[in-house]
Formats: sequence, C-alpha cells, structure tokens
Amino acid sequence: MVERQNRRQRALIITLVIICILLVTVYSRESKDGLFHRLQRFSLDIVSPLQKGMSKVLSPVKDGIGYLTDLGDAKSERDRLKEEVESLQDVVDELEEMKLENKTLTKMIAVKESRPDLEYLVVDVIGANPDVWEQTIQIGAGYSNGLQEYMAVLSEDGSLIGRITLCTSEVSLVQLITDERSSVGAMLQNNAEMGVVKGEGRGGVRLELLNQDAEVETGDVVVTSGLGGTCPAGIPVGTITEISERRADLSVGIVISPRASLTRLDRVMVVTSPLPRTAPIKAEEGG
Amino acid sequence: MHRRLTFFAVLVVALLIQLTVSPEIGIGSVKPDILLVATICWALFEGPGQGALFGFSAGLLEDIFSTAVLGVSAFAKILIGYFSGELRQRVISKSVVWPMIIVFFGSILHELIKFATWAIVGLEQRPPFSFGVIAGLALYNSLITLVVYPVIRHFAGLEDRALMFQ
Repeated sequence: MVERQNRRQRALIITLVIICILLVTVYSRESKDGLFHRLQRFSLDIVSPLQKGMSKVLSPVKDGIGYLTDLGDAKSERDRLKEEVESLQDVVDELEEMKLENKTLTKMIAVKESRPDLEYLVVDVIGANPDVWEQTIQIGAGYSNGLQEYMAVLSEDGSLIGRITLCTSEVSLVQLITDERSSVGAMLQNNAEMGVVKGEGRGGVRLELLNQDAEVETGDVVVTSGLGGTCPAGIPVGTITEISERRADLSVGIVISPRASLTRLDRVMVVTSPLPRTAPIKAEEGG
Repeated sequence: MHRRLTFFAVLVVALLIQLTVSPEIGIGSVKPDILLVATICWALFEGPGQGALFGFSAGLLEDIFSTAVLGVSAFAKILIGYFSGELRQRVISKSVVWPMIIVFFGSILHELIKFATWAIVGLEQRPPFSFGVIAGLALYNSLITLVVYPVIRHFAGLEDRALMFQ
C-alpha cells in the first residue's frame, strides 16, 4: 500500500517536473507574442489594479519599514559624512594655509620689486628663544645657504625685524629690533634726521635722534639710514607713536611702534645682497 | 473535498498576498516569498506528494503573474515542496522553530535551484547572484513562517494531528 503510494508520488513528481521542463522549453523558444508571454501580460493587467489598491493601503507599513531600514542606512550615512567632513576640513585647512602662503609670497614679491637693488632669501621661522630676556628668533637657514652674521632680516611686507647675530650651517639666530642689545642706524623719512633705533625689550623700540632739536612728530615714519653698514638704507622700521618730555640728559624720548608684527612671524626675508660691511653698532655705544 | 478546497484557498490567498502585500513589506531588495513559505508549510502538514503539487501550482501561478521564465519557479518549488514533505516523517515537534529552520534552508536551496535552472536554460538577463540577498530572503521567509505556519495549520484543520517533528 505504502509502496504503491510512493510509486504514485514519484510518478506525480516526474510528471510535474516534465511539465515544468516543457513549459520552460516552450516559453524560452516562443516569441514575445507567444501564448505564454501573452498570458503573463494578461495576468499582470488583471492583478495590477489590485496591487495598486493594496499599495495604497499598505503605504504606512511600507513607510514604517522604510523608516526602520533607513535608520541603519542613516547611521552608516552619518559615519560616511563624518569622514567626508573630516577629509574636507583637512582640504579646507590646507587651502587656508596655501592662501596665507600665497598672500605672504605676494607681499614678498612686491617687496622684491620695490627694491630691485636688494637680494633676498626667504627663510622659515623655526622657533623663538624661550628666554624672556632675549628677543630673538631662529630661522631655518645658515651659512650653508649663503647667510652670514649681521645680515638684515625683513618681514614679509619688507619691514625690518632684526639682524642675524649667530649663524650655524643650517640655522641662524635673528636678534629682533626689540631686543635690548639691538641698535640700528635710522632716520626720519620726512626730514632725514639721523638717529639710532634701540630695543627696549618686551616689544618696545625707541628712537634716539642725533640732533636733539630736530623736528619730530607722532606718526612720522622711521626707516633705516644705512649707516653702520649692516642694514641697507630705506627699509621701514616703524612709526613714532609717542614723544615724551626732554629727559635729564636733554634727549627726547621717542617711542616707535614697529611696522612688522614681531610676534607673528612664519617666514622672513634675509637681505643677502649687498653684504653687511661691518659689525652692528653696539647698543651701549648709543649709536 | 474539504482538503482540496483548503488547498485552493491557501494557494489563492498566498498568491494574493505574494502579489500585493509582499512587494510592500520588502526590506531593501528582499521581498518575502509567501508562496514558498506556504509550499513548505503545506508540505510539512500534507507530505511530499501534496507538497510537490502545491509547489508546482504555487510556482506556476507565480510565473504566470510575473515576467519570469515560465516553469522555473514551478520546478524549484516542486523540489522544495517534495523534500519538505519528506522531512515531515523525520521530524516530530509542535514548535514553530523547526519549520522556520526548514524554510530558511529551503529558501536558500530554492534560489540556488532557480539560478541553476536559469543558467541551464541560458537565460541572458539573469539577475546578479548575491548570496547576501539570498540569505536575507531566507531569513525574512523564516520570520514570515511565524505567521504563515499557524495560519495554514488552522485552515488545514490539522490542529489535532499537528505535525510532530523530531
């Protein structure tokens, strides 16, 4: 009995499989307008209104499922966007840096064009002296790059910031004009009255005029005089911001605001030609 | 008579759900194959012969109401229905977990048979094979079994002689 049932079942399966094979064969061989293709199109036409209706009815369910699956997508999307923002931020930072560099270089080119008689070497600032009593910076070039002591060092806009006081093969030490030991020959731009610019430490600079009776006013521009043979003439140093009463030695106290921003130096220009002819005037010599 | 009526009722309801509800509750590209789940559940209640017949009918209707190659789903479901029915005599349990496991593996086998058949027929525009999609479908189908299995058991009036798995 069971054997007969099994045989019947096997026969049924074989029959069904044969029907399937025939269907697949006929369907695969018939044209798009064949009987089975037309039957499929007809069936789809019949069922499509039902599908549309059900789609409308089930749209909240679909939205709910979509919302749930989107949560997973949203998380991965958030992570992806986070990464993208980070990488874009890196690009923005890089571009900002390039923009600043471009601005600096543009200024340097302008300085170079305004003073064709001078030759410069652009050098990166690599550090500052940690000693509070010394107003110096270190730059990333030394005598192997053609630098030597007493060369004038300018900011990106061509203002005097100091002089090289120590040169190694790869690094140089620049004494800023604010250093108490700094002393540079200078003059007033409007009347060529000569004097010496001396550092006062902690960002201060003063001008000592040779002619104590010279006409001087706040706002006057001070430039290097070229005397002393270290700094070329005509390099802007700063602007007079304060003129005090005559002191006991009858000299006038003149305070200068340096034109260069001495606390924000990334790159400087070292005047490599003409070469300094002598050692600088010592501060204690009073010019 | 009652059994035949139930057969057609389950078949038609499963087809309607397959055509209307299934596309709406899909997760990504994975839509549950209600007809396959119904085939396996029916086979687990009725045995290999009935399973194969149900699978053939379900597959054929599925093929007719789609643009797929006619006969491929029917062929795959015959085999799945038959083998699922064979398992009836080997597994005794009232738990729904066993049908879920059978549906899971049955779904994977079903898709593999379809892909193999398409390849043999030389179907040019075959969908790209993705085991991830197949695994997702198998998982979804096995979850749907939680609902389909008790419903078919109820309508088949087989509560008293519920399938016993071992």
